Amino acid sequence: MSNFIAGYIPLFDLYCLHVGLALSQFIVLRAGVFSLATAAFAGIGAYTAGIMAVNFGMHPALGVLCGTLTGMGVAIVLSIPLARLRGVYQAIATVAFIQICLSLNIYSEGLTGGAMGLNNIPKTVGTGTLFVFAALASYLIWAIEKGRLGRAFNTIRQDEAVAASLGISIRRHQMLAFAISGALAGLFGGLEAYHSYAIDPRQFGFHLLITVLSYVIFGGRNSVIGPLVGVAFLIILPELARPLAENRMVIYGIMLILVINYMPKGVADTAIDAIKARRLKARGGADI
Amino acid sequence: MTTLKLTNLSKRFGGVVASEDVNIKVPTGEIIGLIGPNGAGKTTIVNMITGMLPVSGGTIHVGDIDITHAAAHEICRAGLARTFQNIRLLNDASVLDNVLIGLHRHEKSSTLSALLGLPTSGRETRALKVRAMALLAAFDLTKFAEYPAGGLSYGHQRKVEMARAVATDPDFILLDEPIAGMNDVESDALAEIFRDFARNGKGVLLIEHNVRFVAKLCSYVYVLDGGKLISEGTPENVLKDPAVITAYLGAEYA
Repeated sequence: MSNFIAGYIPLFDLYCLHVGLALSQFIVLRAGVFSLATAAFAGIGAYTAGIMAVNFGMHPALGVLCGTLTGMGVAIVLSIPLARLRGVYQAIATVAFIQICLSLNIYSEGLTGGAMGLNNIPKTVGTGTLFVFAALASYLIWAIEKGRLGRAFNTIRQDEAVAASLGISIRRHQMLAFAISGALAGLFGGLEAYHSYAIDPRQFGFHLLITVLSYVIFGGRNSVIGPLVGVAFLIILPELARPLAENRMVIYGIMLILVINYMPKGVADTAIDAIKARRLKARGGADI
Repeated sequence: MTTLKLTNLSKRFGGVVASEDVNIKVPTGEIIGLIGPNGAGKTTIVNMITGMLPVSGGTIHVGDIDITHAAAHEICRAGLARTFQNIRLLNDASVLDNVLIGLHRHEKSSTLSALLGLPTSGRETRALKVRAMALLAAFDLTKFAEYPAGGLSYGHQRKVEMARAVATDPDFILLDEPIAGMNDVESDALAEIFRDFARNGKGVLLIEHNVRFVAKLCSYVYVLDGGKLISEGTPENVLKDPAVITAYLGAEYA
């Protein structure tokens, strides 16, 4: 039995790490920013934390804090030019930003180890730590959703003109969403660095972007449950499809296409909406 | 008593003049009409007042405060609220949530407590929900509170938008064609709501092209055509003005 659980612990570690990244992606989308920069912020956080540990022998807690703050700082700076863009242009700009980070990373070999990656990072983060941080991140996003920030984000996402006419500062709120997104990605990037001995630049490239975005699209973009469910599905299902070996990614693709087509709001949000509608119906419904 | 005052307000889109030297005063406690045929530039004026369009010339004041070039969200905080010509609600959000966001201006809890979900933030949310429910009751919308706003009938959606504008607790409300597409019974119900606004000391700028409705409700009317004011005065006088009749019906009726 314990062997059975032990076999799945790496999967659970991956789940916790990716929940953090998915929430980072989720919060910007919620605030109506089509940023895909989470992968870059994660890379920045991971490398900052990794370099602090390898080059300066910094305590892991401080290293992770450095990663978080760097991710947040870069996100805030990036939010300034992005505030002038909307929709797909923001997406393209952030993809370019990921590419820039990747290139800079590979070229600055002295600091980051270049294409060889950063090795010999002491492993100081275990399953317990990952779980605690994933839970804290989920709580943070849940709290935001419940309060005035969540309401403001919702309004901005759905109609900026209405938001402004009700006194909501779009720039301020989107910058805040960016800061949270950068901090979360930096935090979980740092945790990943301390969890996996080695990091390399390609880990934080286009592939991670697609993975993280898929979680949010699959799970849902409205409720905090969305990313949690999305990560669970997309991590576990390919594992279940392991006998199919090389065709696993086909399963992944088919699932995404099915969800996008038939549940465009995502699995969790569709379920939540259905439950709400049923509850209203059960109460007899108001005659509209 | 404050006044919303537009002085020589102008807007040019490239070479096209959308409004030119418009002077309008809206005192609190009164309903002021702004009428004009389609394309006269009425909505352009509202968009300039609310900061959605940059002003090309002239000034806008609320009392002594100059809001000509203020950002849209600052103008709301100066005490102006609006409704939109084509209703703009958050369709997936519940009616209650739609009114709640109108209360954003009154949220005082710190960003940190909102981020961390501290008790102060939770208390505030609960208090605002009570306020929002009271507003829904005032607009006779209580039974729809939990329903998605997008599913409501046109008339009810109008009322939700009105409740949301009132939630910001403005001194001035700009209503952009609020009764478009409504029958007389529905529009009479809204007229009563607008009179209540004025009785409660709010200034109302009513933009309409239903002349009958405006004449019934407004104490003073401005008539816009081709971006310029062509007449102003009490409804009786304005509707007799040959320039107004020409603008609406053509020169042969004047």
